[in-house]
Amino acid sequence: MPRRDDIKSILVIGSGPIVIGQACEFDYSGAQACKVLKEDGFRVILVNSNPATIMTDPVLADRTYVEPITPDFVERILRLEKPDAILPTLGGQTGLNVAVDLAQSGVLDELGVEMIGCDLEAIERGEDRKLFNECMVELGIETARSGYAYSVEDALRIVDEIGYPVVLRPSFTLGGAGGGIAHDEEELVRIVSQGIELSQTGEVLVEESIEGWKEFEMEVMRDAAGNGIIVCSIENLDPMGIHTGDSITVAPAQTLTDIEYQRMRVASLAVLEKVGVETGGSNVQFALDPRTGRMIIIEMNPRVSRSSALASKATGFPIAKVAAQLAVGYTLDEIQNDITHATPACFEPSIDYCVVKIPRFAFEKFKDSDDTLSTRMRAVGEVMAIGRTFEESFSKAMRSMEDGHIGALIHDYDDLTKEELEERLSRPTPERIAIICAALAQGVSPERICSLTSIDRFFIDRIADIVSVERVVGEMQLMDIDAEAMRTIKRFGISDAEIASLVGSDERFVRAYRLGLGVKPVFKTVDTCAAEFASSTEYHYKTYEDGANEVSTGDKKRIMILGAGPNRIGQGIEFDYCCVHASYALSDAGYETIMVNCNPETVSTDYDTSDKLYFEPLTFEDVMDIVDVEHPDGVIVTLGGQTPLKLARLLEEAGVPIIGTSPESIDLAEDRDRFAALLDVLDIAYPASGMASTLEEAQIVAGKIGYPLLVRPSYVLGGRGMAIVYDGGQLERYMESAARVSPDHPVYLDRFLEGAVELDLDALCDGESVYVGGILEHIEMAGIHSGDSACCIPPFALPDSIQARLRKIAKELALSLGVKGLLNIQFAIKDSIIYVIEANPRASRTVPFVSKATGVPLAKLAARIMVGEKLADMGLPCEERHPDYYCVKEAVMPWGRFPGSDIVLGPEMRSTGEVMGIARNFPSAYMKTQVAIDYETPKGGCAFISVNDRDKRNFISIARDIARLGFDILATGGTAQALRAAGLPCEEVGKIYQGSDTVMDRIAKGEITLILNTPLGSTTRDDGYYLRAAAVRHGITYMTTLAAAQAMVAGMEVMREAQPDIIALQDLPQWEG
Amino acid sequence: MLSLKANERILAATSKGTAAPAILVLEDGSVYRGTSCGACGTRTGEICFNTSLVGYLEVISDPSYAGQIVTMTYPQIGNYGVNLDDVQRDVPHLSGLVVHDMCETPSSWRNVEGLPDYLREHDIVAIEGVDTRDLVRHVREAGAMQAILSTEELSSERLLAQLAESEAFVGVNQVERVSCAEEHAFEDLPASHAFAKEAPKSTERNVIAYDCGAKDAILQDLIRRGCAVTVVPWNTSADEVLALSPDGVFLSNGPGDPDAVEGTYRQVEQLMGKVPIFGICLGHQMLSKAAGASIEKLKYGHRGGNQPVMNLITGRVEITAQNHGFGQIFSSLGPLVPELSGGKAEHFDDLRSWVSLRVAPVVKNDLFGRIRLTHVNLNDGTPEGMQFIDIPAFSVQYHPEASPGPADSEYLFDAFMGLMAGEDDYLACDIAQSRTQGWDFGAERSNDAKAR
Repeated sequence: MPRRDDIKSILVIGSGPIVIGQACEFDYSGAQACKVLKEDGFRVILVNSNPATIMTDPVLADRTYVEPITPDFVERILRLEKPDAILPTLGGQTGLNVAVDLAQSGVLDELGVEMIGCDLEAIERGEDRKLFNECMVELGIETARSGYAYSVEDALRIVDEIGYPVVLRPSFTLGGAGGGIAHDEEELVRIVSQGIELSQTGEVLVEESIEGWKEFEMEVMRDAAGNGIIVCSIENLDPMGIHTGDSITVAPAQTLTDIEYQRMRVASLAVLEKVGVETGGSNVQFALDPRTGRMIIIEMNPRVSRSSALASKATGFPIAKVAAQLAVGYTLDEIQNDITHATPACFEPSIDYCVVKIPRFAFEKFKDSDDTLSTRMRAVGEVMAIGRTFEESFSKAMRSMEDGHIGALIHDYDDLTKEELEERLSRPTPERIAIICAALAQGVSPERICSLTSIDRFFIDRIADIVSVERVVGEMQLMDIDAEAMRTIKRFGISDAEIASLVGSDERFVRAYRLGLGVKPVFKTVDTCAAEFASSTEYHYKTYEDGANEVSTGDKKRIMILGAGPNRIGQGIEFDYCCVHASYALSDAGYETIMVNCNPETVSTDYDTSDKLYFEPLTFEDVMDIVDVEHPDGVIVTLGGQTPLKLARLLEEAGVPIIGTSPESIDLAEDRDRFAALLDVLDIAYPASGMASTLEEAQIVAGKIGYPLLVRPSYVLGGRGMAIVYDGGQLERYMESAARVSPDHPVYLDRFLEGAVELDLDALCDGESVYVGGILEHIEMAGIHSGDSACCIPPFALPDSIQARLRKIAKELALSLGVKGLLNIQFAIKDSIIYVIEANPRASRTVPFVSKATGVPLAKLAARIMVGEKLADMGLPCEERHPDYYCVKEAVMPWGRFPGSDIVLGPEMRSTGEVMGIARNFPSAYMKTQVAIDYETPKGGCAFISVNDRDKRNFISIARDIARLGFDILATGGTAQALRAAGLPCEEVGKIYQGSDTVMDRIAKGEITLILNTPLGSTTRDDGYYLRAAAVRHGITYMTTLAAAQAMVAGMEVMREAQPDIIALQDLPQWEG
Repeated sequence: MLSLKANERILAATSKGTAAPAILVLEDGSVYRGTSCGACGTRTGEICFNTSLVGYLEVISDPSYAGQIVTMTYPQIGNYGVNLDDVQRDVPHLSGLVVHDMCETPSSWRNVEGLPDYLREHDIVAIEGVDTRDLVRHVREAGAMQAILSTEELSSERLLAQLAESEAFVGVNQVERVSCAEEHAFEDLPASHAFAKEAPKSTERNVIAYDCGAKDAILQDLIRRGCAVTVVPWNTSADEVLALSPDGVFLSNGPGDPDAVEGTYRQVEQLMGKVPIFGICLGHQMLSKAAGASIEKLKYGHRGGNQPVMNLITGRVEITAQNHGFGQIFSSLGPLVPELSGGKAEHFDDLRSWVSLRVAPVVKNDLFGRIRLTHVNLNDGTPEGMQFIDIPAFSVQYHPEASPGPADSEYLFDAFMGLMAGEDDYLACDIAQSRTQGWDFGAERSNDAKAR
């Protein structure tokens, strides 16, 4: 069946902000889809509220709406654009939910919009547990056996059928109370009788426990003709009970015999048929009893998923792109295999390498939150590695993590005994894999590890081999290692840095020694067919083999771009966006582009993005090995965040041609003393600061500078361990904990500019002139990490004269630092004094947002500057232009994933993503961001206000506005007093544990719809903590700063009058280079 | 300890231990060194590669690999060990095995022994540590050729000399080496497959299977469909077969050059038209030879579990398991019958043209009347299946029994049952429905339950 000609225009729904469980893999899928549909002549309309995405680049669609992905907004876009079809399967659960909503409410029918790529019934059968189970019964595929018990006898009867252990879940209890696992009758009787009592319906679900079983995923595609293929099988190293997003996963499946694999394959295809997925990609998950092979289906996702992005990268088969083509009528046999260009996409990729994915976590940022891994995903990013064996891939993945490890060689637990290690192995945590390596090194047997972790022996044996090799190497001198031994060591994936650590040498020396032995890696190709057919796509990975290098080099000048590595809080999709843009710009300028990255979620690791893709860790060794085969004319290190920046100096010393801002300039900006000296020379103000290694030193510095102080350990990223201290007591406590964060490094103490207005400025400099791309005014005051702060462009309350001064400072700084490319400066303004907080001569998190907001693609221009172009020749629009619209960026916080962690914003960044709102005025733009994050704006009810003493003078006008908007005001003691003094009526309620009528009771009753609670220091934190936790649990709109409250109130007021217009990026000025 | 070389010290600490060196030399002088991971000895054979990601044991024990040294493209082999119920013959017939990395510590609930032990028990020479991807790329470009694998002689020159004196692959009858000696009934289904496969249907047909090197999975599939299977040697005469009054005759897969298997295809010629016939792989080539078709040697063959084949009758694509180095030339069966071939009178070189036209063309064969092209390989446009219209016979070049590989084409066994039952449209089938047949996923199907 060829392309459908009855469809001319298609609305593609993106996935919105990066949140845990739904990250930039959906930008990768969505961008692929938009590209292929547009190339095929469809009019593509896109909605996605996330400005840091490639898919929202105005060139990727005909109409790009950076608007909230809500039924309301999408309906308005549909009414305006009148597309023929809506494609919702590429935008994760968000996209699917909105489409389902619009279908169910009849909007799609009314407007004559066809849902393509899936249909409503199929989604319902895939997602409704009961309907899904019915489908499985018809197919004869097992689901976990279970039954409802209304008495202990019921439960015993059910267990007779399904056997112990069983998971017990009382229905409708608060927070899942009363559940548990019963291993025998005694436990069963106890938990069930309790559970029945606790349950409002007197009901307990008794389900067989499949924790510890093996877990597999199948990535399946189907076309409208009924052809079905498995793109990739994935085996989870971590057993059932740990979310697959939090699990280490391996492709292809490693431990299935053919009969087991084919049975799972047939079942997967049958599930697609039965659920009714007409076209597209789906993901089917299975659990397998490692003792009997019993197979249970866990779930299926009738859409492109995180795993399908991984499968695409793992095999070279572009699932999302093909899914989009299938949705518009093509069949699999009509689509060509992108990589071979000779065979059809209707086949099952064969791979001749092993792929390992390891998730990356951020629990350290969410203190007090339990870090036991469970069925709720908490990973914020992931790395993938490719090697010829599991051992090699695993080692590569371990060193790709950038968590301080250089591979499977782990020294973090050297002071723990075997018993202590074993104890820690029994609980799945982010650290468990490192502990396994450490335990094997200490002689804990593989059997023991398997029984404690339920991880398949196959994997533990492989890891044990790596550890054994390291043990023997550790008994050697470097000179004992001959070429043959070196080759063996490298085949286990062991890094030069690990060898150096084992033999007591230096990484660079080991590298030189290794090359002296003639032990060099080769680069192989990801080609979907295990070399059966020739391929022209340059998608490579490194390995140690005897055979030929598969890299070909052309005549063009080559520029290598180092990517950002795994997503983590503080370094996410924004940096990938910059790398991708650089690649596009340089390709347009006639260069051959080479991308290096190890993050499978990204657009940069799409083999389609750059001329060549190296899926490799971003370490000195791995980058140098690529440099050795590519001999690039230039290497870009300033667009991928801290990851490549850290390598800059080493690479330069190794003779690599770094282009753009030099490592020397980077050092000048990053070294506090040198930077301060430079600011002094330029007569630019900066907050007073000092450094201390002991409490005594800290107290002396504090005495000089005065409180409050912003304190942080040196050499940590993303504001980790950063805090504001208001007095000596807090400083003392901080110094104690800082010693643990970073024992060998001093602590920095800066004067904290309380109440200052903060600004970000992004500029370009070519060494001769400077162009300020944008000035962003933060909504929250100083003290909130810039990544967590909402901000607006153009500034909403900053006079032109001050903006001019900011530009002047930026120009002086950029030229003095010797920036060639991007520069980000953070300013604070207090009492009319402009302070420079810091300057980063690299791409910043705000570059994509500024580029979208101004229509000037800063990262592309930066790349062109790096290869020698001049700003003067680019014809950029005037810096001082006054746009007639406002763009607001708001951070998205992952609070719901980390129960127990306080939700207060602070100097340590904790947001995972961002949304953008565009409107003709600031409050509307702000409100769009709130809607985009899915905050239901309350229309009335009770507003609870409790502010700290510092805010008591300034909150009255906000409270007055809240009252005027029709809210009844509730307040605790001090706040109520201030309100009454100002003549505002309010009801006083008790604090958390004061008496019977407390604010918590009111929250529980659902009376409170809005909370304004500003905490400060640690005293009010205790009460506020529970309050805010309750707000998250009950989904109540809450604000923890007055600035945010002000913006919110203004927004609510504007929204009351009229819905803000929807705006397509194509309607805003776009600079056409 | 100190006397050990560093490399040996390192390997000795791992599950690999230390191993004897091994070497693979190709006819064109290419040399691949590694270590032994099977039996000791020296073997010659045609070098080939298989791209299946799972099912190495089924590959190794497939009799069609007789006379060949098989390279597995997936780098880690032996991960789940060996379960003898999965083998395709009690004795493996391949000449040698080449892998990148052999697993010494397998893990699976079905595992009974490690693959290296199995190889040693059956005296199969195997090498690991080879850059198999490089080898495959070389064979892909240079084409199939003879090779020699040794753990005894490590000089490539001497091995090349030895190879030059060894027997060629093309033109040699490999079938007689692997076929059974005597007629016998094949009855057993592997016990350990019961968790995944439904119980067989009750017996309703008598089928004679020519054993040119038949894989057990094919015979098992016939049993599961309700056939009583009698296996006969490759050169059993047509008269003897007809004397057994079968409901159908099955022509099996088998190794090597089909032109050398005259002893089978001459008998097949006698059977055609007298009894329903179904052929797989070499069996397809036997029917082709009987009908006077020419056979060509493919550059490097089709071996793996991911070859897309379109059924031209239904338009559906099957992902198929394949293992063949020779192929039929469709045009040699006879001239096209335009009125049955979408009006076309000229043969296409690339049969994918029929796919674009969605036409299953028919030729007029001198000996057996009209023959329809039913299946085409979408990777390279080679013929994959044919159906005789005027006599009851059909065949496919690929392996519907898979083992290893996808089960999409299992419907062809049902088609054989349909042919024996006298149906006309026996090849029209919805594979989405048919491929689940015969599988036991663990739970009772609700329609089964209803039937009770």
